[in-house]
Amino acid sequence: MPSTRLDFENVRRRFGRLSVLQGVSGSVLPGGALLVTGPNGSGKSTLLRCLAGILSPDGGRIDYREGEQDLGVAERRLRIGYVAPDLAFYSELTVAENLNFFARLRRVSPAWGFEILDRLALPTDRMVGALSSGMRQRLRWAWALLHRPRLLLLDEPFQNLDAPGEEGTRALLAEHLGEGPGGLAVIANPASLEIDRVTARLDLGR
Amino acid sequence: MKKTLPWLLWLWISAVIVGAFYYAPLAKGFIGKSSRILFFHVPMAWVSFFAFIAGAVWSLLYLVRGRQERHDRAAAVSIQLGMLFGVLATVTGALWARIMWGAYWNWDPRQTSLLISLLFYAAYLALRGAVDDPEKRARLAAAYALLGVVVTPFLFWVMPRLTYTLHPEPVVNAEGKFDMDNRMGIVLFASTFAFTVLFFWMHNLQCRLQALLARQAENRE
Amino acid sequence: MSLPVSTWAAEALAVFAKEWRCELRTQVALSTLGLFAVTTLVVASVSLGPLGVAKAQGSALLPVLLWLILLFSIAAGLPRAFVQEEESQTATALRLSATPSALFCGKLLYSLTLVAALEALITPIYVTIMNLKVESPGLLVLALTAGGYGLAAGSTLVAAIIAQARSKGTLFSVLSFPILLPLLILVIELTRNAVLGDPAGMALAQLLLYDASVSIFGLMLFPVVWNP
Repeated sequence: MPSTRLDFENVRRRFGRLSVLQGVSGSVLPGGALLVTGPNGSGKSTLLRCLAGILSPDGGRIDYREGEQDLGVAERRLRIGYVAPDLAFYSELTVAENLNFFARLRRVSPAWGFEILDRLALPTDRMVGALSSGMRQRLRWAWALLHRPRLLLLDEPFQNLDAPGEEGTRALLAEHLGEGPGGLAVIANPASLEIDRVTARLDLGR
Repeated sequence: MKKTLPWLLWLWISAVIVGAFYYAPLAKGFIGKSSRILFFHVPMAWVSFFAFIAGAVWSLLYLVRGRQERHDRAAAVSIQLGMLFGVLATVTGALWARIMWGAYWNWDPRQTSLLISLLFYAAYLALRGAVDDPEKRARLAAAYALLGVVVTPFLFWVMPRLTYTLHPEPVVNAEGKFDMDNRMGIVLFASTFAFTVLFFWMHNLQCRLQALLARQAENRE
Repeated sequence: MSLPVSTWAAEALAVFAKEWRCELRTQVALSTLGLFAVTTLVVASVSLGPLGVAKAQGSALLPVLLWLILLFSIAAGLPRAFVQEEESQTATALRLSATPSALFCGKLLYSLTLVAALEALITPIYVTIMNLKVESPGLLVLALTAGGYGLAAGSTLVAAIIAQARSKGTLFSVLSFPILLPLLILVIELTRNAVLGDPAGMALAQLLLYDASVSIFGLMLFPVVWNP
């Protein structure tokens, strides 16, 4: 049994009177991806936000281990890579300045991030405020992979991307899952996606 | 026990009221019969202070004991009750001050400190009103309550230097002597005890009510 | 989490540098703070100046007015440090990449420089146009430093709290004033002592203790406020 893995069990979350997640469970192992599908409002983003540690579930258990380490929520939050529509960067800074800032916070070299930007053909001297929505999505990918996380949490990862953009990010995902010891991913999308290495599916539509 | 406690409390408080007006003598140096308000004013101020500390303790418990909703509820109810008793203590104090010192408000250090504590309670409740998500509301409110208990002792420490006090000596004065007529002491002690039990009873009722309302809201969906 | 101090400090400095870089490009905080302060200052001096405040009353009144101007200017500009992060949704990226304590210190450092700049702008003008004679300028500088620190530290934590609530603007004043009141009482007393040439006395020790407790508890409570 590989020691790096994500398990979650009976995760529940409500917003006021509305119960969005009513006990969902799943697990992912290295080299595999969990595909979460369901219509709008079925709780895909809520689940990913709970897994990322930026929303606390009302109940249930989320366990993430990296190697021999059992990571608590504070560490998990800083280790994972997260792509989501609600992720924004500083609009008054350029793409390069944003990436450098987050590289300093994460205490890593920004080189890999710039390489991703180069592969996705995103100009680095442009102000983030002046980026189109597809360009923002590319920046989200570069930001999420910057510190080479083992676990990727992808919420509608290919939205707003044109054909080359989707091709580039799909290649990044394939490398992430395939290279070295193998990364993990949880991918949320309203419709099913054709992705190799999807090892499990979770349909939140009831 | 649940059924008899309210009756016992009712009897006890009735006895305190009778005692305050017919058993305890008038204090020396007080105008007219104004000293009788003391049997209610002092316990109210005490409960307000106690509720404030209790609210902070429950806030701390919420943060360190696995974030349980009941601790957050207990903290919020405690501070609501502290506000209620604080207002009552301020009003009874002001009435008495009008008779004794000639004006409702005198910037007495204890008057002022209590007023600022009331501002703090109000701010705490305003914060709770401005956050929708229960989990977020609970942790923000708990942090604010704890920041409040760190900062407010400074008031009690600083205020006496700025304005001189007209307030009567604290019940137990600096020498640790219980400087009061015996019968007055008995009534005051009985009253303080009654008000403290009253606080816990009201607190318990309100917490149970809030828990039921929360569960009802969940089931309705 | 145990981290080498140098990398932790680098992280805090990165936050500080980011704040100033964004601020210098938009100049929102600087202009709101500065304009608000200057406007209040002018209003205060126009309404008081022609009356000519007598020296005896001046030493009692003028320190109060100075700190009220500073307090309200800070309330107008400082909360932005956290409100902006939540409103432009950059808070999520920050939550997922910054160590909370380093983030708090970076933000606090930024607030400190803003408050210091504000004090450096307002105090000389105020002292001049109000004809305020300060007997011990050294003590005044000390009061401004220790008082400004406390204002920045208290407001930074309250700003982090209100940034996640509704009706942020009014809520900041409501929440921060009870917290800052002991500080205000102390620093006004200290400023008055500076004006009159009296010794600092207990007020300085109490003020420093206030600063220390607000910093320590701010650092302890911030992760709770910041993360779910």
